[in-house]
Amino acid sequence: MAFMKRKKVAFEGGGLVLVSEVHEAMLAERILKKAGYQVRLVAPPPELRKGCDLAVEINLVEKPGIERILSQNDVAYVEVMPFKVGTPEILEIVRVTDFGEWVMVKAANMKLTFEKKSGVIVNTSGGGCPDIPHLHAGLLGRPLAEAPRPGDIGYTLCALMLDRALEESLTLHNGGEQP
Amino acid sequence: MMLITGTVPIKDMPLTFGTVRAEGDYLIVDGQRIPCNQGTGAMVSAALATTDYLKLEAPQVLMAGDIGEGRGSREIYDYLIRNVAELVPEVLALHYWMPDIARTRQLCAAIENCAQRSVMIADAGSMYSAKAAGLATAFDIFTPDAAEVAFLADPDATHPAYIRFMVNTDEANTPELIKTAYENKNAARLLLVKGAIDYIVSNGEIVATVNEPDVRAMEAIGGTGDTITGLVSAFVYAGLEPHEAAIIAARTNRMAGRFAETTPATRVGQVIARFPEVFKKYLCEWSGVCATGGVE
Repeated sequence: MAFMKRKKVAFEGGGLVLVSEVHEAMLAERILKKAGYQVRLVAPPPELRKGCDLAVEINLVEKPGIERILSQNDVAYVEVMPFKVGTPEILEIVRVTDFGEWVMVKAANMKLTFEKKSGVIVNTSGGGCPDIPHLHAGLLGRPLAEAPRPGDIGYTLCALMLDRALEESLTLHNGGEQP
Repeated sequence: MMLITGTVPIKDMPLTFGTVRAEGDYLIVDGQRIPCNQGTGAMVSAALATTDYLKLEAPQVLMAGDIGEGRGSREIYDYLIRNVAELVPEVLALHYWMPDIARTRQLCAAIENCAQRSVMIADAGSMYSAKAAGLATAFDIFTPDAAEVAFLADPDATHPAYIRFMVNTDEANTPELIKTAYENKNAARLLLVKGAIDYIVSNGEIVATVNEPDVRAMEAIGGTGDTITGLVSAFVYAGLEPHEAAIIAARTNRMAGRFAETTPATRVGQVIARFPEVFKKYLCEWSGVCATGGVE
C-alpha cells in the first residue's frame, strides 16, 4: 500500500513577534496557532534582538489581529515588526482631499470619505486585504464617532491604515487642523 | 476560460467554484449570493458586464468567504495550486486575498509547469503577495494605484503600509516610481497605474496615459479600482493586446463614472450599471470591438 505524503506548505511571513523570554515566544506560538494563524518559532536576527533569543514569525499583514489576540491572552510581547532589517515603521503621513461637501482622508493605501456637515462616512476605498470589503460594508452610512474601529475589528495592515484614516477624519470633523 | 479568484466578505462562505451570473445587485455562483460591493464582487461584476456585452463565455470564479482571518484565502491558494494545471485558464485574474508569500511561490511554480501559459493578472492582495515573493515579473498585468506603485518601487516593502517612498507618492512622481519598480524587477510586464492620470506601462515604457474624462470623485468610491481590473481582464480575454485592453479599461471606467454623475458618495454598483451604455457608445470607436464575439 502506497502512502501519499502531502507536502507541507512552507511559511515566510515577513514579520516577527519579539518577546523578552523564550517561554513567552512558545506561549505566543501556541495561542496564535490555536487561533488559526500560521506562525513558526525562529531565532531573531542579531540586529533585532531586544532581550530575546526566540521570536515568532508571523505574516506581517496580519499584525493587527495578532496583536489583539496576544493582548487578549496577556502575552507580554515587546514588539511586532518587519523581519527585514532597515524596513521602516508603519507610515504616519496622512493626506486630505477636499471635495466640497465631502472630505477624503488618505493613509498609505487606504482612503475614507465623509460628509462634512453630518460626519457620515460615505465611502472607503483602496487596499487589497480580505478584511477591507467587510470593513467597507460596516462603515458606510455610519457617523464617524459611531463607526466601528477598523483597528478593533480588522485583522490586517490595510485595516490599520483605514483606522488611521478614521482617526484623522474624527479629528478633522471635530475642528482639528489638516495634517 | 477566464478564471477570476478572490475572497468575499461573507464569513464562513465555503470555497465556491463555478460560472458567475448576475441577479439584481448580486452575483450568483453555485447557489451563493455575493454582493457587488468593493473588492472581488466589483471586479467580477465589471468583467461579467463586459463578457455579457461581447457575448463571450461568462467568467469562471473561485471564491471563498474571508473577513480577514485568512482561512478562505488559504483555501483558494491551495485549490489553485492543486488544480491550476487541469483548469488551464486562458486568463487567470487574482484579486483580494491574504498575502501569503510561500503559497504564492507554490502557485507560480504550479503555473510554470502548466502545458499552456495563462495570461496572469493581479491586483489588490494578490499583487501584494506577488511583489513580496519577488515574483512580479511572472505576471503579465498589475493594476496598482499611486500608493501601490510606491510599494512596488520599494525593494524591501512587503506591504504598502511600510513603504519608504511615501514622501514621493504625490502623483507627480508616479513616472519616477514606475521606473524604479521596473529597475528593481518588481513590476509585471504591463502596469495600469490608476490615478488622476492613468499610466499604461509596457516593460518599463509609458506607452499611453488616460486622463479624460476627469472624474476626480472616483478615487473616493470603493471598488472603482477593482472595476478597472475586471474590465482589463475581460478585454484581454476578448483578444485585445494587454496595453490596448488597459487603455480601453481606463477610458471605460472614467466614462461610466461621468455617465453615473458620480460624487464621493456614489456606490460602485452605480458605475458598473453604466458600462453597457459606455460600450454601446464608444467601444467600437475605441477598440475595434464592433460586434459581438470578441475582437474583429
